[in-house]
Amino acid sequence: MKNKIVTILLTLVMITALVSGCSKKQNNNNTDDGNDLPKVAVLLNGNLGDKSFFDSANNGATLMREELGLDVNVVEMGFDNTIWETTLYETSDKDYDIIIVGTYQMQEILQKVAPEYPEKKYIIFDSAVNYDLGGLDNVYSILFKQNEGAYLAGVLAAMVSENDTMEYSLGNKIIGVVGGMDIPVINDFIAGYIKGAVDTVEDIKVSTSYIGDFNDTAKAKDLAKAQIRLGADVVFHVAAQAGLGVIEGTADEGKYAIGVDADQALALKDTQENRAKMILTSVVKNIDQVILQAVKEDMNGTLQYGQTQSMGIKENAIDIAENEFYEAMATDDMKARIDEIREQIKSGELNVPSIFNMADGEFSELVSSVAP
Amino acid sequence: MEQIVSIIFSADFIFSVIRLSTPILFATMAVLISDRAGVTNIAVEGTMLFAALMGVIGSAYGGNVWTGLLVAVLSGILFSGIIAFFHLKLETDIVLTGIALNLMASGLTIFILYLLTGDKGVSTGLNSKTVPNIHIPVLRSIPVLGEMLSGHSVLTYLAFVVIAIITVFLKKTRLGTYIRAAGENAEAIDTAGISVKVVRLKALLISGAIAGLGGAFMSMSYVSMFTKDMVAGRGFIALAAEAMGHGNPILSTLSALFFGAADALSNNLQLFNFPSELTRLMPYALTIIALTFYAARAKKQLKK
Repeated sequence: MKNKIVTILLTLVMITALVSGCSKKQNNNNTDDGNDLPKVAVLLNGNLGDKSFFDSANNGATLMREELGLDVNVVEMGFDNTIWETTLYETSDKDYDIIIVGTYQMQEILQKVAPEYPEKKYIIFDSAVNYDLGGLDNVYSILFKQNEGAYLAGVLAAMVSENDTMEYSLGNKIIGVVGGMDIPVINDFIAGYIKGAVDTVEDIKVSTSYIGDFNDTAKAKDLAKAQIRLGADVVFHVAAQAGLGVIEGTADEGKYAIGVDADQALALKDTQENRAKMILTSVVKNIDQVILQAVKEDMNGTLQYGQTQSMGIKENAIDIAENEFYEAMATDDMKARIDEIREQIKSGELNVPSIFNMADGEFSELVSSVAP
Repeated sequence: MEQIVSIIFSADFIFSVIRLSTPILFATMAVLISDRAGVTNIAVEGTMLFAALMGVIGSAYGGNVWTGLLVAVLSGILFSGIIAFFHLKLETDIVLTGIALNLMASGLTIFILYLLTGDKGVSTGLNSKTVPNIHIPVLRSIPVLGEMLSGHSVLTYLAFVVIAIITVFLKKTRLGTYIRAAGENAEAIDTAGISVKVVRLKALLISGAIAGLGGAFMSMSYVSMFTKDMVAGRGFIALAAEAMGHGNPILSTLSALFFGAADALSNNLQLFNFPSELTRLMPYALTIIALTFYAARAKKQLKK
């Protein structure tokens, strides 16, 4: 008797699931017939408010709504990585057409989920899935050539450090960089920065320090101060919000800083102008423009799923910020030089080395070759 | 190598050791007073984080730094009041309560920050104040010593005042004696007709106030803003420092300074291209080594 009830109940549940599953699909088809605008979900494995990375992705979503009139949903998944996978599954189960994720932390999860939903389309930015695994023909990967933007920052930093006529530079030919963690994406920035500096001023010294996380603002400040004590005229940070400590440390000591991911001088301009005016420039990743462009291409049917695209200065995906502070601080010679090198990178005449193409140990050799 | 030595034996280095040690000193004293009462406050980390944010908010809305400081201390007291409520009133496990509150502090601070500024990472939108640095008249003119000891934040000097007060307080005052008794032999003061719970409550509230000062130092002196999870383990380091000092204020202070020095050393060694993994684990490795030595010695003494 008991078994019978269970069987009946189970059958009922299964039928309901089947029916609802079908009806959902029909709904889907209906909307597809009505208008063929894709429905987009942007899953962020972090929180908004970082003034850079995720905020930029969120801005991309806003642009899609405004410029393309799309139905876009942004989901903040927070920093608890145990829920990322389930959220991606849940989102894939819903009626979204394009699902956008970012960072290397989502790469493996996407590699697992995407093959199970061949009818969905996925875009991953700032990381690339491993297409050799197969079944990932519905994934488009976007990599940033952060090395190119950082190269320009290195060129500028080296010129500033060499120039003792600038107000806050001693002409020490020493610059510094503070990274969040010793991981490939961060090191790609650092490699570009060092190369840019060395190619511009041959005997420049570059001091490299890591915080160990992206939270410890106080430690970041101390690391910047230690580099300045050693003689650094400019300190570049690649440490998300912890890097604000670097900006504070350099401003306290009367030295220049270079920001990252977003235009940090503009972000600080209203509340902390004395710090904003010590930020030479920022290496900016235009995540918003890049994902907007990808979705546009998808709508035109030209987006090449199943491939990785590396985007740099040429694609307007990365650059340094040329705001009022940059205009005021950089000399005309410096600006001309930066413009010249930017053109060289665009035309392919200058090829900035990337850590992703370096042999094992080549990066650490590069770092030690310029260490003070 | 010569360069490294010259950096380590410079007045600048000692100055940065003192600055780096300040939050750890506050946290260590906060742990110490609670530990001596028999209720080790492992939520010091979260308390500092909460107070760091509240201090920034207090100074931004109160218009001056001292309001901020007061708010930070009060919120530290409030936060440890929550621990006291759960542990002493509802009799939950103090360790689990502490862990829960540490986790809560991380989310709660982001939530409050978001409500006030619409920002989830940093408080740069708030016009918060910083605690001034002071130069000590006679001391500052002494050549090397002046460079090391003068020009620190008001809170840094306050940290040493707190240490002195706690040392005397535990030994000489009535409440101090009760606190020690509550930690060493709770039954004894119970039979003497004094409520162990009330004594422990007072110890926890004092602990919260001191942790509040530590939090205020992080966001109003060390750096001039609140950023998400900015305490970054300093409250936990303090637990180790207090354990190494075996609850003795002077010895605990020395171990806190030792951690500060290890931190400063690791920051400076990175300049000379020492592998960052190695320098970063140094404070923690030194903790384990020091605790091992300490345990070995204690065991030896026990044998005697």
